[in-house]
Amino acid sequence: MMRHLHPIMLLVLAMVIVTAEGPVHAAGIEPPRTVALFLERHCADCHQGKDAEAGFDIGTLVLEAGSSAGDHAWTTLIDRVADGEMPPPDAEQPKAAEHSRFLASAGDWLSDSIRTRDAAIGRVRGRRLTPREVERSLHAVLGIDIPLADRLPLEPRPGGYTTVATRQSFSHHQLGRHLTVVDRALDEAFGRAALSPESLIRDLDPTAIVRTDPTKRCREPELRKGKAVVWSGGPIYYGRIPATTAPSDGWYRFRVTALGLKLPSTGGVWCTVHSGRCVSSAPLLQYVTAFEATEQTKDIRFTCWLSKNDMLEIRPGDVTLPRGRFADGQVGAGEGDKQDLPGLAIDRITMERCHVGADDETLRRLLFGDVPLDSVENKKTGTRRLRPRPADAKADVGRLVKGFAQRAFRRPVSKDVVASYVSLAHAQLKEKVAFVDALRAAYRAILCSPRFLFFTEEPGPLDDHALASRLSYFLTGGPPDGILMARADDGTLRDPAVIRREADRLLESDGLHRFVRDFAAEWLDLDQIDFTEPDTRLYPGFDPIVQAGMLAETHETLVDAFAKNRSVQWLLDADTTWLDSRLARYYEVPGVAGDDRRWVPLSSSSHRGGILAHGAILKVTANGNTTSPVVRGVWIGERILGDEIRPPPGGVPAIEPDIRGTTTIREQLERHRADASCASCHRTIDPPGFALENFDPSGRWRDRYLAMADGKRKAGIPIDPSATLPDGHSFKTFETFRSLVAHQPDRLARNLAGHLLVYGTGATLSYADRKAVAAIAARGARNDHGVRSILHEVVTSPLFTSK
Amino acid sequence: MTRPTRFHVDTRRMLSRRTVLRGAGVAMGMPWLSAMAPAFGGVKRAVPRRFVAITLSLGLVPEHLFPTEAGRAWKPSPYLAALADLRDQLTLVSGTSHPGVSGGHRAEASLLTAAPMSNAAQSRNTESIDQHLARHLGGETRFPSLVLGITGSNSPSYTENGSMIPAETSPASLFTRLFVADSPAARERQVARAREGRSIMDLVADDTRRLERSLGAGDRGRLDAYFTSVRDLERRLVDAEAWADRPKPVVPIAKPVDIGDPNDVIARQRLMSDMARLALETDSTRFVTMHMGGGGGVVPVPGVDEGYHSLSHHGRDDDKLSQLARVESEIMKAFGDFLRGLAARNEDHETVLDRTTVLLTSNLGNASSHDNRNLPVVVAGGGFRHGSHLAFDRKNNHPLPNLFVSILQQTGLETDRFATSTGTLPGLDPV
Repeated sequence: MMRHLHPIMLLVLAMVIVTAEGPVHAAGIEPPRTVALFLERHCADCHQGKDAEAGFDIGTLVLEAGSSAGDHAWTTLIDRVADGEMPPPDAEQPKAAEHSRFLASAGDWLSDSIRTRDAAIGRVRGRRLTPREVERSLHAVLGIDIPLADRLPLEPRPGGYTTVATRQSFSHHQLGRHLTVVDRALDEAFGRAALSPESLIRDLDPTAIVRTDPTKRCREPELRKGKAVVWSGGPIYYGRIPATTAPSDGWYRFRVTALGLKLPSTGGVWCTVHSGRCVSSAPLLQYVTAFEATEQTKDIRFTCWLSKNDMLEIRPGDVTLPRGRFADGQVGAGEGDKQDLPGLAIDRITMERCHVGADDETLRRLLFGDVPLDSVENKKTGTRRLRPRPADAKADVGRLVKGFAQRAFRRPVSKDVVASYVSLAHAQLKEKVAFVDALRAAYRAILCSPRFLFFTEEPGPLDDHALASRLSYFLTGGPPDGILMARADDGTLRDPAVIRREADRLLESDGLHRFVRDFAAEWLDLDQIDFTEPDTRLYPGFDPIVQAGMLAETHETLVDAFAKNRSVQWLLDADTTWLDSRLARYYEVPGVAGDDRRWVPLSSSSHRGGILAHGAILKVTANGNTTSPVVRGVWIGERILGDEIRPPPGGVPAIEPDIRGTTTIREQLERHRADASCASCHRTIDPPGFALENFDPSGRWRDRYLAMADGKRKAGIPIDPSATLPDGHSFKTFETFRSLVAHQPDRLARNLAGHLLVYGTGATLSYADRKAVAAIAARGARNDHGVRSILHEVVTSPLFTSK
Repeated sequence: MTRPTRFHVDTRRMLSRRTVLRGAGVAMGMPWLSAMAPAFGGVKRAVPRRFVAITLSLGLVPEHLFPTEAGRAWKPSPYLAALADLRDQLTLVSGTSHPGVSGGHRAEASLLTAAPMSNAAQSRNTESIDQHLARHLGGETRFPSLVLGITGSNSPSYTENGSMIPAETSPASLFTRLFVADSPAARERQVARAREGRSIMDLVADDTRRLERSLGAGDRGRLDAYFTSVRDLERRLVDAEAWADRPKPVVPIAKPVDIGDPNDVIARQRLMSDMARLALETDSTRFVTMHMGGGGGVVPVPGVDEGYHSLSHHGRDDDKLSQLARVESEIMKAFGDFLRGLAARNEDHETVLDRTTVLLTSNLGNASSHDNRNLPVVVAGGGFRHGSHLAFDRKNNHPLPNLFVSILQQTGLETDRFATSTGTLPGLDPV
C-alpha cells in the first residue's frame, strides 16, 4: 500500500516549529514546495512513520527542520540524493531536471535556514576554554609556567577537535577541579612573588654521576677510564643518575657532554633520556629526548619538567643494538666491558633550575602592579619574603583587581562587572584580612568567572576583542598578548591586512612550531601516538627513538609547508623528508648518518615522501597488531580528502582482523561489500585504506602480511593494495594512489581550510558553510594552493570573523 | 548561627565510633549502626541499600565467563571456578546489551548511562545509574558517591548533563579522605576555604546571570549549565563545611601505599577493592563505581608477556587468548575476594553484601571485534534471589537497562524506567 504524506500536512507541521535554540525566522523553517513534493513522490514510500527504513522518517525530518539535529538529517538526505544513492536503484528514479531542481531548491533552502539562525545566534555557541587553553591562560595572566592541563578532566574531541563547543560539558565536578587548578596556580604565583626559590646549579663530573660503591651490582653508571659509562642492556632503570634528583617540582635545564663507546656498524649509539622516580613502586618514566652518541664528544642540551624526587635515566636505547646479559636486573662494574657492547660514556652533566615563562620581576608586576614590595625577615627561619606595602590598600586593590580582570577577561570591563569583584576584596580588607590575601580572593573569583572560562562572543561579526581572542587561541592556544590587545583597543584589528599581519606575527619563530604541534595533535591524531605499542613479536625494531623521529618528521614537514607557503599537493607527494639516522635506517633510506635531523632527498624507488607515508600517520591509524583498511580509509577520507563519512548503521560489529593469516582483510571486506547497503559507503571508504596496506602497524613497508605459526613469524599472503576510487580511477600501487590524490589540490585545499576553520572557530562545518570553505580554497588556489595562503584566507573569512 | 537549619547538628545524639567500639569491646571496623547514623540530613533513615559497579574497558572473553547451561544447573565456566562458593550469591546474565549503543571503545561512555550512542557520537550522554542513585539517595553519607579508577581517570560515571566524573586513582589519598582525621588547623582551613569558596560562587553566579543577558540566546543553555554547576558546587561546599565538623570513622588498618606499577592491574584492583569495601562498611558512601581501564602494558601475571590491550585484540590467536585468560582469571579471583569481604561483615541481621548490589560488566562483548553486544554481566548480592544463569537471546539481545531498573528499585528508588528500559529484568527478583 502506498503511504502518502500530504504536502499540505508538511507545511502545517513546519510552521508550528519552535526550536530548542530559540526564536528562528519562520521563513527559514518551511521547506519549499518543490522539496515537499519530491519527498512525497520519492521518499515517503519507505521513509515515513514509525517503521521508516533505516529509522529515517521524513515526518521527523520536517519537524526537526531548523534545529541542528534537523540540519544534520537534511544534509544527509541532500547528499545521498546528490550522490545518486537515493532513491535506491530498484525504485523509480527522478528525472534529471526534477533531480537538479530538488537539489538546488533543497540546498538553497537549507543553507538559508542555517544562515538565518547563525546570524541570529551564531555558528559557535557557548564555547569554553579547553584544559590546554586554561593552562596557557593562567600562565599568561599570572606569569607562571607549571603544568596544569593534566589536572583538569580530559576534554573529549567531538568533530575531531577539543575546541568544538557542541559537546563541551560543564558540571560541578568540572568547576570543582577548575577551582583546584586555580588554587594551585595562585599558590605558585603568590609563592614565587614572595620568595624566589634559591638558584640551583649542579656541575656533575663523572665521579658524581657514577655509583657510589664500585663493588656493588646496581643500576647507576660505572666509572671506566674517567668517564661515567652505561652499556647497552635490558635492566629497568639502568642508567639512572641519582645526582640529578630534583629537590622540588620545576623546570630544569641540562647539558650532557658524552660520546659513544664501541660503536656499532650502523653508526653511533642512539641513546634515550627519560625522567622519573626510577624505583619499582613508581615505574612510570617520561620520555625526555633521544640523541646519537658518536665517536666525537658532544653536548646535548634539553630542558624538562621534573617532579620532586624525579631523576634522569640516560642509556643506549636503540632496540636494534646488541644487548648485554646482566643477571638479576643489576649490572656489576666491568660486566658490560667484557661482553663488547656499545655503550655511552658521559663526561659531564650540568643541571640548572630555570623558568620557561615570565621571570620573577614580570610575575610580581602582574600580581602587584606598582605597589612597592617590602622585604620581611622571618625571625625563625632567617628567610626573607617580599610583601606588598600598599599606600592606600582600598584604592590599590580596586586598581589592581580592575587590571587583572581586563587581562583575565581579555577585554575592557565595565564598572559594574568589576565592582562585584572589587567589593569581595574590600569586604575582606574590612575583616582585617591581609592585603595579599584580599587581592588573592578577588583574583580567585575572577578566574572562576564565566568571562574567563568562556569565549564571550555576541551574535554577528565579532567585536575587536572577541576577534583578538579567537585569533590568539587559534594560533597560540593562549590569550592575546599585549600587542594584539593594543590592536583590538585601537579598533584596527578588523582590517584584513591587520589580521594577516598579526597572524604572521603570532607564528614567528617558536610560534609556528607550537601551532603545528597543537593543530596536528588533533587534526592528524598525533596525540594518540602513544596509545598503542606495536607488538614486538610481530614488528620488532620499533622503539621510542623511532617514534620521536616519526613525530619530528611530520611536525617539520608541516612547519616547512607553512613557513614556505608550500602547496597542499607537496604535503602529499614531497620528494624529500625529514630524517635522522635512526629513522632513516628504520625506513631503509640509505646515506643518513648522525642525529642531526635534516631534509633527505628521496629516490624514486623509495616508498616514502608525503604525509601518507609518514610513520606517525601509519602508526596512529593502526592498533599495534593489525591494520584495517576501513579505519585507515575513514581516517584519510575525513582528515586528508575532506569526505564526510557517515557512521555505520547501528548494531553492525566491526570486522575482526584475523592475524592467524588464514583470510585477508580484503576477502572479509569483499564479502561485506557484497551487501548493497554496506557497499554504498565502503566503495568510498575502503580504497584509500587498501592503498596503505603495504605499511604495517609500526609504519614499516611490507610486501606480504605476517602469519604467526607456533609463535613464530613467517611471511604470509602477499599484499594487494589495488582498488578503484569512486571517481573511476584505478590504482595498483600506493605510489599511484598517492599521485592520484595529490593531483586534486582543490579538494585538499578545501579539506585543510575546513579543518583549520573547525579547530579555529570551535564549530563543525554545516551545509551552509561548504560554499564559504570552497571560496576560501579557491582564493588559496591563486597562490598555488599554498598552505600559508589558505591560513590567511581562513583568518580573514567571514566564518572566522563572525560568531 | 548562619548555617542553614537543616545542618544543625545535635552532637549529643552522636556516638563516636571509638566510644562504641571501646565500650563494647568488639572487633574494629563494625559497620553501620543506627545510633551512629548522622544526626542530620533530610531523608528518613532506613536500611542502607548500596550499589557498586565494577567496569572493565576490555571485556571478558565470553566463552570463559558464561556457562553453557542456562538456568540454575550451570556447571562452572573457567572463570567461575574460582567463585564456586559464591554460587548462590551470583546471577550471570548473558545475551544483553544497551539498545542503540555501538562504537566499540566509545560505548564505554554509555556503559552505566545506557544512552544510545554510536560512532557518530553526536548525541549527549546522560546520567549514569550510580550518579542517579547518589543524587536521590546519597545525602546521608559523607560522600554521596565514590568514583574510583584502577589505571586512569576515565570513569563510566556521568553527571546529569552528561559530563564525565574523573576517577580517583590513588588508594592512599582516598584513604586519607575517608579515614584520616584532619588536624584542627586543617579543619579550620577547610571551613574557611569552603566559606570563601561559597562567597566566590555567589559572586560568580551573579556575574553569570549578567553575562547571559549580554550574549545571544544560543549561549544561554551553556551558561545555564555553568550557573547550575556554580550552585551545585556551592551546595557541596556547604555540605563540606558541615562534614568538616564531624569525626571520620576509624578503621583498623594503616594508610595503604599506592601501587606505582600502572601495569599491575590486579594488585591495583585488589587494593582499590579493599578501600571500596571499607568505605561501604563504614557507611562513608553507598554508591561506588570502580573502573578498570585497559592499559597497554604487560600485566605481571606468570605466563603473560604481552600488553593487556594488545591481548584483548587477540584475533583468535591461541597464544594471545591463553595469556588473556590468565589476566582475566586473576581479575575474577580478585572480584570474588571483594564479594567474600562484603559477605564476611554483618550489619544488623544481614551481611553487607546482602545490602549491596555488585555489578561486574563491560561495554565490550568481544574486545577483539569491538562488539558492543552480548556484554559480560555478573550481578551479586543486594538481596536478590541469585544462583541462575539468565541466558537471553544472543542474536536478539535483551535490553540491559532493564537490569538497571531492577537495581534502582532494589536500592530504594521508586521508578520503572531507566534510559531505554522496557521493564525490569525477568528472572532477577528480590528475596
